[in-house]
This record gives sequence, C-alpha cells and structure tokens, in this order.
Amino acid sequence: MLQSSNSFARLLAELQKLPGVGEKTALRLAFHLLKYPENTAALAESLGEVLSRVKFCSICFGITEEDPCRLCSSDRDETSLCVVEEPQDLLAVERTRAFRGRYHVLQGALSPLNGVTPDRLRIAELMRRLEGGAVREVVIATNFSVEGETTALYLARQIKPLGIRVTRLAHGIPLGSDLEYVDAATVQRALEGRSEL
Amino acid sequence: MEPTRTEAIVLAAMDYRESDRIVTLFTLQYGKLRGVAKGAKRSARRFGPALEPFARIDVELVVREGLSSLRGADIVTLYPGIRRDLRAIGLAGYAVELVDRYLPDGAPTPRLFRLLSSYLERLDQGEPLPSDRRFFEANFLNILGYRISLDHCASCGVELPATAERRAGASGMILCASCGRYGASVGPEAAALLGRCLATGRFGAVLFSPQSLREAGTLLDGAIAAHLTRPLNSLVFLKQIEPD
Ligand SMILES: [Zn+2]
Ligand SMILES: [Zn+2]
Repeated sequence: MLQSSNSFARLLAELQKLPGVGEKTALRLAFHLLKYPENTAALAESLGEVLSRVKFCSICFGITEEDPCRLCSSDRDETSLCVVEEPQDLLAVERTRAFRGRYHVLQGALSPLNGVTPDRLRIAELMRRLEGGAVREVVIATNFSVEGETTALYLARQIKPLGIRVTRLAHGIPLGSDLEYVDAATVQRALEGRSEL
Repeated sequence: MEPTRTEAIVLAAMDYRESDRIVTLFTLQYGKLRGVAKGAKRSARRFGPALEPFARIDVELVVREGLSSLRGADIVTLYPGIRRDLRAIGLAGYAVELVDRYLPDGAPTPRLFRLLSSYLERLDQGEPLPSDRRFFEANFLNILGYRISLDHCASCGVELPATAERRAGASGMILCASCGRYGASVGPEAAALLGRCLATGRFGAVLFSPQSLREAGTLLDGAIAAHLTRPLNSLVFLKQIEPD
C-alpha cells in the first residue's frame, strides 16, 4: 500500500532528516499531513516562502528576511556586542529583554576533535566588525559545553589585544548546558552577572 | 545481560538520531568501546554534561559487541581547570584523540588509563607544560609497544653510549650519526631525559630544557605520526593556538 508509494516513502525520508524525528514520528507526521490537506498545502507554501525569503543577515549572520536584519538596522546600542553560536541562541538572549546591544552569530562552535577550526566559523567577520571601533564590550554567550568554552576562550584571546572588554555569561548556567534550553530568567541573571574573561 | 559499572574517560561524543548520543569511552575494565546513551542529547537531562569530551565518569553499561548500551553515568570530574584554559583544552583534546586513534576496541589497558587520567589531572591543576606533553607521549608509545629504543641505532644496531650524538629517523626512530646523516639531531641531554620519562611514572619529574624539548619533540612527533594514517584533528588546532 502506501509504503510502496514512491512519494510517500520520500516524504518519510525527508521528515526523518529533521532533528528529533525518527521512523515512528515521521510516520505519524506523514499520516497527519495526508489527513488535513489544507493545512499541508499551507505548510508547503510556507516552506517555499521561507526558502526564497529567509536568509542570513550579512552583518550579524542571524536569520532575516531583509538584509541587514531588523536588529542590525535599529538604533540599538552599538558599543556592546553579544556573540552567540546559533540564531536560536540569539532568540534565547533576546527573550530576557536584558540586553540592549547588538549581536553576532558564529554559526557554530569550535570543535577541535571534529575538525571545526576557527576558519569554519564567522570569526573573521566578527573581527572585521570589531575593527570598526564602535564596540567597547563583547559579551560571549556561547554554550557551556566544551566546544562553547573553547570558542569563548579563543575569542577572548583574539579580541583582548584590541583593547575591547570581553565578558562571559556567568551565574547559574550549569557546565555543559546549551543556551537555548536554559530558561529566560536564568539567562537574564547570567547576563547581569557576566564576568571578565 | 547484566549492566556493570566501570570508570571511564570520554574520548569522543556526538549527537545521534532523535535524542541519543554516541560516545567512545576508554573504560578501565573493558578498554575502548563505543556506546549509545539513550536520551542523552544535551537538551535532555538524563546524562547531564557527563558525556562531554575528556570527562571522567563512573558509567553503568551493558557491554556488547559493536555498540554497548549506557544506562547511566556519574561525573567524577569535568576538569573545570582544563575548561578555563585554551591550551589545556587543546592538549586534553590531543591526548584523548591520540588514545582514541591508537587503541584498538576492547583491549583493557589500565596503565594507559592511569597515564591519561594523570595527564588530565595535571592539566587541570596548573599551567600546561610542554615537558608534560612529551612525557605523556613517550610513555604513551611505550605502553602501546612502540617504545623508542634509545641505546641502539635502529638501522645498523650499533650501541649508542650516553654521550653519543643521535639522529631522529623519518618515523621517530633513533639512528647513529652516520645512518641518520640527514636527520635532526637528538643530543645526549634529550636522550637522557627521554630515558628518564620512561623510568619514572610521575608527571613533573622530568623537565626538558628548551633545546632538548625541541629535539625530543621532533623525535616524538615523528614516532606518533608514523603509526597514523591521517593527521590528528586536535593537532591542527594545537598548532593554531600555539604558533612556534
Ligand atoms: Zn543582522
Ligand atoms: Zn646506524
């Protein structure tokens, strides 16, 4: 029956490429999509739209429809810059409403064991932004995993010679955790209690 | 199968499927093994940060051929001192990658386990010293059966007295001055200190001078590369953070 249908099999395969989706979940999702064709058509349209419109901001590398993004073209504080690993971490910091500056998304973290070296991240672009001279403080909000810590220490070493203050989110965020899964109140406290690197 | 408990050091880890993590562990009891930890992706709470690279843990697992299955893990230490120092992170990564790449699966090697954990402790406690790295490498090779023979030329077999001028061969072998005409020099001091590394089991007991460090370094780098088919990722990073 359905299992032998090429397009259905392809849908299952595509769904299983999503994070957190295994075989069973893919099957459940696929049947759901078939059951509600209007919703599915809307989803398909929105996927197409996202693909054609959403891109990375050429300044901060967050996701955006207009380039530069809303955050980069706003009148937010230009003297402080928050560095995060992924666009979803930017959202985690924004949710706290405690940060008024600008952002830079590295699009990953250094992972020496997996061959992710500095040139694979948006570090050169970050350094170019800092050479502009407006930034007085860089708040490093990478994850508290080994990769995130490695990235934070590496950045501190690159940035400090420019005479820019480098701080790191501190209190209450346990070793090993990913920013996007930490609640907003904890991230806010960590932001307020940031310490010199 | 009954789960058992053993001490382990995490050599490598990666997220896998819905919410799992696949880890390579160096266990005290069973040697190196790969295991899957269900629900261990960092979003999940179950294993916490226990499955991060070079963490020292007490792990409960069902040992199986191929992929073992992790039931739980208690953190012995995440080495907070290492995680505060970029060079220490680089060197700890190098040490675990070296063990991962050299050690075959399922070969209990308690001496190597002790050497690796002593090195991690040493890195955790203070400034990472180049002498300690070379001490680790010399003993690492020795434990795995690649001991560098210091008192004979590896090519012609001539005996090399303590004061002899030695040369480093292409794959980290010691040669006499005539067999190793074009090799880098390994002076009497470097040879003596390398010998001391193998004679004592304690980090900090051997301190190389800058010159002997360079000579021993060339020799050890060659010996380590000789048994690897592709370069170590962590070595690329180490070179980037300590240009010399
Ligand atoms: Zn932007
Ligand atoms: Zn010879």
